[in-house]
Amino acid sequence: MIDPITTEIIRCALLQAAEDMNTTLIRSSYTPVIYEAKDCAVALLDRDHHVLGQSSGLPIFLGNLEVCTRETERRYGRDVWREGDVWVLNDSYIGGTHLNDVTVYGPIFADGELAGFAASRAHWLDVGSKDPGGSMDSTSIFQEGLRLGPVKVYEGGQPCRDLHEVIGRNVRFPHATLGDLRAQVSCAMTGQRRLREIVTRWGLDTVMAARDEIFAQTERLERAAIAAIPDGRYEASGFLDNDGIDLGTPLPVTVRVTVSGESIAVDLTDCADQATGPVNCGAAQAVAAVRVGYKLLVSGDVPLNGGSFRPLTVETRPGSMLAAESPAACQYYYSHLGLLIDLVVKALAPVLPDKAAAASYGDSMIVQFTGTDPRTGKLYVSQEATVGGWGAWEGGDGETALINNVNGSLRDMPIEVLETLFPVRVTRYEIRPGTGGAGRWRGGDGVVREYEFCGDTSLSLWFERSVTPAWGLAGGEDGAPPRVTLNPGTPGERAMLKANAVPVRAGDVLRCESGGGGGYGPAQG
Amino acid sequence: MSYRVAMDIGGTFTDVVCYDERTGAVTASKAPTTPGDLAEGVFAALGRVVDDPSAISFFVHGTTQGLNALLERKGARVLLLASEGGGDVYRIARGNRDRMFDLRYRKPTPLVPPGDVMEAGGRLDWRGAELVPLDEEAVRRAGRRAREEGFDAVAVCLLFSYADPAHEIRAGEILAEELGEDVLVVLSHEVAREWREYERTSSAVLEAYTGPVVRRYLADIERRFAGRGLTVPVHVMQSSGGLVNASYAMRRPLQTLLSGPVGGTMGGVAAARLLGGRRNVICVDMGGTSFDVSLVVDGRPDVSSEARIEGFPVLMPIVNLHTIGAGGGSLAYAEAGALRVGPESAGAVPGPACYGRGGTRATVTDANVALGRVDPAWFAGGLMTLDAEAAGAAVAELAGELDLDPLRLAEGICDVANAKMAQAIRTLTVEHGVEPREFSLVAFGGAGAMHAVFIARELGIGEVVIPRFPGAFSAWGMLEADVRRDLTRPYFRPQDTLDGPDMSQNFASLEAEALDALTAQGVPADRRRVEHAVDMRYEGQDYTLTIPLLDAAEPARPGFLAAIAARYAEAHTSRYGHATPEAPVEFVMLRSTGFGSFPRTDAAVAGPPAPAEPAVRDVIFDGEVHATPVLRRAGLSGSFAGPAIVVEETATTVVPPGCLASVDDNGFLIVKVEAHQ
Repeated sequence: MIDPITTEIIRCALLQAAEDMNTTLIRSSYTPVIYEAKDCAVALLDRDHHVLGQSSGLPIFLGNLEVCTRETERRYGRDVWREGDVWVLNDSYIGGTHLNDVTVYGPIFADGELAGFAASRAHWLDVGSKDPGGSMDSTSIFQEGLRLGPVKVYEGGQPCRDLHEVIGRNVRFPHATLGDLRAQVSCAMTGQRRLREIVTRWGLDTVMAARDEIFAQTERLERAAIAAIPDGRYEASGFLDNDGIDLGTPLPVTVRVTVSGESIAVDLTDCADQATGPVNCGAAQAVAAVRVGYKLLVSGDVPLNGGSFRPLTVETRPGSMLAAESPAACQYYYSHLGLLIDLVVKALAPVLPDKAAAASYGDSMIVQFTGTDPRTGKLYVSQEATVGGWGAWEGGDGETALINNVNGSLRDMPIEVLETLFPVRVTRYEIRPGTGGAGRWRGGDGVVREYEFCGDTSLSLWFERSVTPAWGLAGGEDGAPPRVTLNPGTPGERAMLKANAVPVRAGDVLRCESGGGGGYGPAQG
Repeated sequence: MSYRVAMDIGGTFTDVVCYDERTGAVTASKAPTTPGDLAEGVFAALGRVVDDPSAISFFVHGTTQGLNALLERKGARVLLLASEGGGDVYRIARGNRDRMFDLRYRKPTPLVPPGDVMEAGGRLDWRGAELVPLDEEAVRRAGRRAREEGFDAVAVCLLFSYADPAHEIRAGEILAEELGEDVLVVLSHEVAREWREYERTSSAVLEAYTGPVVRRYLADIERRFAGRGLTVPVHVMQSSGGLVNASYAMRRPLQTLLSGPVGGTMGGVAAARLLGGRRNVICVDMGGTSFDVSLVVDGRPDVSSEARIEGFPVLMPIVNLHTIGAGGGSLAYAEAGALRVGPESAGAVPGPACYGRGGTRATVTDANVALGRVDPAWFAGGLMTLDAEAAGAAVAELAGELDLDPLRLAEGICDVANAKMAQAIRTLTVEHGVEPREFSLVAFGGAGAMHAVFIARELGIGEVVIPRFPGAFSAWGMLEADVRRDLTRPYFRPQDTLDGPDMSQNFASLEAEALDALTAQGVPADRRRVEHAVDMRYEGQDYTLTIPLLDAAEPARPGFLAAIAARYAEAHTSRYGHATPEAPVEFVMLRSTGFGSFPRTDAAVAGPPAPAEPAVRDVIFDGEVHATPVLRRAGLSGSFAGPAIVVEETATTVVPPGCLASVDDNGFLIVKVEAHQ
């Protein structure tokens, strides 16, 4: 029987170990998408693939790094783990996300015995997809870049030269990509060192006993939080605009939540089949999205570990958009996951009014342009997400101009940095007034960001949530949907939301308008 | 002319430290802080150490006026003037979130409401070349509005002003014509000559918001000091850990925002120097509610070029302080059968149970009292008597809940708190890629010395240093700091466009500017020095590392690119564990820092002889009762073995069994710690 003092000290040490891994990754990563956008996550796992400590940059990576170590062991057996080895995996159907999200993980040995795993997932700038930075019209995973199954990238503490050669020759920015890989390897090594220190100090048996107790404590807190929700079946539905290929066909997503005593079951089987365009994800990611929605609503303040999701089960349907199979395209895997998170909140809002909020503008609203910079003659890729309005709640207006849920703590690109790095000018960056839904409490407003291109470029767009804009709650009104216009106010004016590699001339103007959040409660006459 | 005096205005007390140049004696004292008129507390504290202000040869103080105005949202009414099309940049605030699982997230409420933002036409490109001339009429309209509506300050931030400030300078002239001297006009390029419009706007707004308050205060205190016969300028601590005189601080008040807390870090720098050979020091300041960590690496304070204060970014050199909610007042409680300690604090009211102010829940201080590590009669220099029974009862109640022996729990509460504080230190050292065990730990603040040895043990640190006057260490640090002026110049150049002689010329002009700035601070020519550095990164990266140069002429010398790229790779490896030597680098920012030092003589340690027979108390260490001598810090000398408790007016040092303590020539109490087995 372990005492609560030792348990708490070990718990804090495990959390700190995960924080240290995260700090190492963020501080040593090469590209801004990791350290600026925090498009990454780390986890310290026990030898049975349960989370001991996790630090999540992106909520969407919540609790699904362990699928990588688990799948590796399932294929090759427990004996496959060797001291000093580091593995890499980005297969969408295992990890759940797009190929740019690469998980790097390694076993941790203490006194010759397997004690656990250190894992990190980070977004690589480019993995050699058919278009630089990722395609918006891919129809197969084979167009989306280099696909790595569980494969060793370090062996016995030494880099595997062959795999480094393969990666280096299949991506457009090898310095940056291999730099980020090195950062992830450093992160794994930090996790290895920390867990080894912890096990050396207390002994593996004590650490495992503390683990059992920590998981049990967390599970008790989770179950108590669920028990406070009235039993019942709750449901919400919405549509993804389209799959980026067939622009006329919205894709339905339905969430059915059953609360029963201290457990929650979520049924995701009622959704569109896997689509032609890149809007599919592996089942692991649909599970992660449900966990985010659950965490947002039910137990945001309960610590995250292997006990966190024991009372939560998720059912998916193989071959559907939320549990895709090869060769479904997965590049924009997150649009419907953002919708999914919002729908979990919507389904439970009637019984959790003190925690819910109306919907936010919903998606990343990507503006991407790529070409040769006339100032330097070099290839460049600029990719930005656009901020928008969030939903109101009983007692507060929704925030204006805030990044979407799925993007974590991403910051917008300063005009001064953007214009220095890329041949473009931002002529307006303003709040888009009146776009938040009306209500007793108003939804937050979206923004207007207007670009003037200084050189010929190739433009791609991924704007969503026009079919199902941010809904209001309790009688509040919906937020305005997004709108994107090329050369507004001219005879050649063109409205679009999704586009891939549209040629654009120097002097052309692009106006991007993001949506507002939903209102709460009926507006006063 | 024989006293050097430093003053640190804290929330409760104004600390003063005085150094007598004739005798080398150092004294410390304090007076209650007087929030209505801070100067009153300053003069009261001063009166306790110096009779005649005209005998003061040097005076420095940390001011909290600006920070208080910000914390209480009682700053100036500010009008913000932005570039056309960019007026909402301040409100958008880069659109990011700090908390991930919060559906109801709100950004910090802006210091300038949306209705008080105006725009002016005029546009530069990324190199600073003019695309559209400044709309002077729009600037004038803003000036007229500021005058008519009685604004206290105008902040101006125009796009790309860091590349060419001409538009901002012209706007400043027009505003001065409209507004005269009474309204503070802040130009963003003068506050922070760096790119990123939101961060620069936020910096300019913060200066405009806090500036008028700081200026009024400094002008007032200088006038009142002069009236009392002070003949030397008042110096002020900046957030960078360097000093400036009050007339400069009045022009650049933002730099004084974190004036107080950084004094402790500068004390760490001075301690490292005095201790000899210790280049790396971890400074920990533990009080009732918070625990601040900062680093001295290779003899220098760890200074960042950017920070966030109250959620608002500021671009300015600022000592890197990492703060967690852990202190004597941290509450211990049970949750689902688990023991938790902090971050929630009992605060000052009701405070720990032992304060006898109605608190019933166990805190870290109560645990220390229950273990006998605090002498109830000696707490806060005897100003406060503690209720040991109440502490014991609070701990016993929680022990019942967790089914633990009360004394075991008391030690456990301290162990958990110590582990958390050790982790806070690790957060900072991991970020820097350094190992804590290569550092000495300097502990100060009311509770720092009580926990320092235990924290050191967690981290494998072999040496703990408790300075004299741990409660007034920040003030002492100010006394030991240099004058410092930081200058920057944006200089974006990928390596294939680098022109070495041009970079050198830029550094030479920055150096001349820095030397002039030091002269303006009254620093004699032979006590000035300027250091140069350049912010670099690999192409495609966004963050930079600041790489020191040998001198301003270095970039013009042959082989510079290879040399600096190698230095960058080395710095990258040391900080991040790896580098990409074959990747091209780029240069982002030139930085020149001028330092002016003051002549110093070593302090003499004098004190009454130690009392013959120390009192002995029962104190619990590792579950066992140890008869432990209670020693008075004053007059302590030589070395002694733990267990021991060392008491003084502002702090209690706990020396556990197995540790060896000694007092050195400078009066530092040095404890040698054995690491956890």
